[in-house]
Amino acid sequence: MNEWIAVGVFAVVAASIPAVMVSASRLLRPSVPEKGKETVYESGEVPTGGTRLNFNIQYYMVALLFVVFDIETVLIFPWTVVYQDAVGAAGLGSALAPMLVFIAVLVVGLGWAWRTGVIRWVSSANTEFNT
Amino acid sequence: MALPALTPQYVLGLAALLVLVVDAFTPTSRKNGLLAGLTALAGVTSAGAAAWLYAGGAGRTTLFDGALAVDASTSFFTAVFGCVAALVAVASYDYVREEPHQSAYYALVLLATAGMSVMAAANSLVTAFLALELVSLPAYALVAYLKRDAGSAEAGLKYFVVGALSSAILVYGISLVYAATGVFGFAALADAVAGNAHVTVLGAGVVMLIGGFAFKTASVPFHFWAPEAYEGAPAPVSAFLSSASKAAGFVLAFRVFLLAFPLAAFEALGIPWTLVFAVLAVVTMTLGNVAAATQTNVKRMLAYSSIGHAGYALIGLAALSGPTSSDVAVVGASFSHLFVYGFTNTGAFLVVALAERWGVGRTFEDYAGLARSAPVASAVLAVLLFSLAGLPVGGGFWTKYALFLGAVQSGLWWLAAVGVVNSALSLFYYSRLVKAVWVDAPDETGVARERPTGIYAAVVVAAVVTVALLVAPDVVFSWADAAARALVSA
Repeated sequence: MNEWIAVGVFAVVAASIPAVMVSASRLLRPSVPEKGKETVYESGEVPTGGTRLNFNIQYYMVALLFVVFDIETVLIFPWTVVYQDAVGAAGLGSALAPMLVFIAVLVVGLGWAWRTGVIRWVSSANTEFNT
Repeated sequence: MALPALTPQYVLGLAALLVLVVDAFTPTSRKNGLLAGLTALAGVTSAGAAAWLYAGGAGRTTLFDGALAVDASTSFFTAVFGCVAALVAVASYDYVREEPHQSAYYALVLLATAGMSVMAAANSLVTAFLALELVSLPAYALVAYLKRDAGSAEAGLKYFVVGALSSAILVYGISLVYAATGVFGFAALADAVAGNAHVTVLGAGVVMLIGGFAFKTASVPFHFWAPEAYEGAPAPVSAFLSSASKAAGFVLAFRVFLLAFPLAAFEALGIPWTLVFAVLAVVTMTLGNVAAATQTNVKRMLAYSSIGHAGYALIGLAALSGPTSSDVAVVGASFSHLFVYGFTNTGAFLVVALAERWGVGRTFEDYAGLARSAPVASAVLAVLLFSLAGLPVGGGFWTKYALFLGAVQSGLWWLAAVGVVNSALSLFYYSRLVKAVWVDAPDETGVARERPTGIYAAVVVAAVVTVALLVAPDVVFSWADAAARALVSA
């Protein structure tokens, strides 16, 4: 008997549990529609307005820059954890220089984005989310 | 003087940063000439450094715990990428003169070139994938560079979607290979695949890797983005993608399949991947050439013909048979074909860039009688196209001859026969364009054409190199042979 059969059975069971739960509750529950149940879930807040509204496109550039530095921290965190040991094992230069080069590359990119006006906030009367 | 083995890669990466720094200090001034010059200089410098490293004969240098390895094939292809980037930069000087965001354009060209040269040095599946993404991401943006132009934006989106899909397939293939072997490095993989117990997983992974490389090289079954992307993209970007990016995909495929997946070990496992490449080569060259013959749009014709050329280059992977000398010959033929093709095809696309600048239309009829108003460019176009077809006017003649001969010597005479038939077919549609340019009468006579210096210089250099390789092929072919030897007998 192939041991992968267990994986297949597991997949079938995993898929059928939510299906059974949803369909069983559909059969058992009484149907009492009311307004509070049908509103959009907003973490307990009372929703205001529709969800289809225009976001300012400038958030996109900010988000893009954020992602760059988000990824940067992912690399810096493990580096800081091993930094002391790395200095002891390989010397200060070999432990520190690559990270400085990496950050310098990102700083060049950020400096370029800043100087060419990527993060300059342009106000417009037509957008809803002006600051 | 002993240069660091990665000098060309450093030059390209630093030049990309320098372009951004220059623009950051003077964001409002126009400096197209400075940035184009910087890009071209970086391309030529990296190509020169690669030639210097090859002449120094350092053999094989592994760096970063075996993540990268620099050998003759790295320097050979880095020279191709550097030269193509320089040609593209010089031509772009005229092409993007009126466009905004020039610093981004040149920086992306340099970053993509740096990624290609790292691909040529990849020695592990991880660095291979990272380098491939470093080529792909700038390429998506470059295709969509003319963002106010609907065609360019559409081409960029299509290229991105197909590219993201094939990247996903490639990285899944890498994960399957890792699942079967537990290693990423090429040398370790070569040991781990021999007698591997997980043949199905490994085989599926290898097939997915082939899919990922087929995207980068615009081969069947991931070729269909090419005509769309090349047609909509700015013509210098089409030139860049169809020659340098394709060569980068090929050098990576050669490195992976020659260094990490030895043929003998895979035949013992019952996965003869040469057969897969033989089938792909036949389908790719036939589909590319038949589709090119039916096109009315010049750029699409060149795009399909570049798919056909991917089919010829695939012969280098299909016709491997085991003996070192014949393997070196056929891989070297494929390498030198990509070298010649790098110049020839870049030149052909840059002539299209010239025509776009003049506002000539996009179809064969629109090119009618171009020779009356622009004889130099038309003569160059004729030379380049006939070299692409394999006529003895350019280096393409020798490389096609060597490829088909290599296929015959490996017993794949049918592959060579398909190649010859396809070359004859390609001569038909290339001649149609040459006839339109030289024989057909123009709609309006006496048109005065401006002479954009940059594009003219780039196409003339491309044509001169193409013809020079017919007269003195040994310079490049001996380098290509050394490059092939570095991979085959590594």
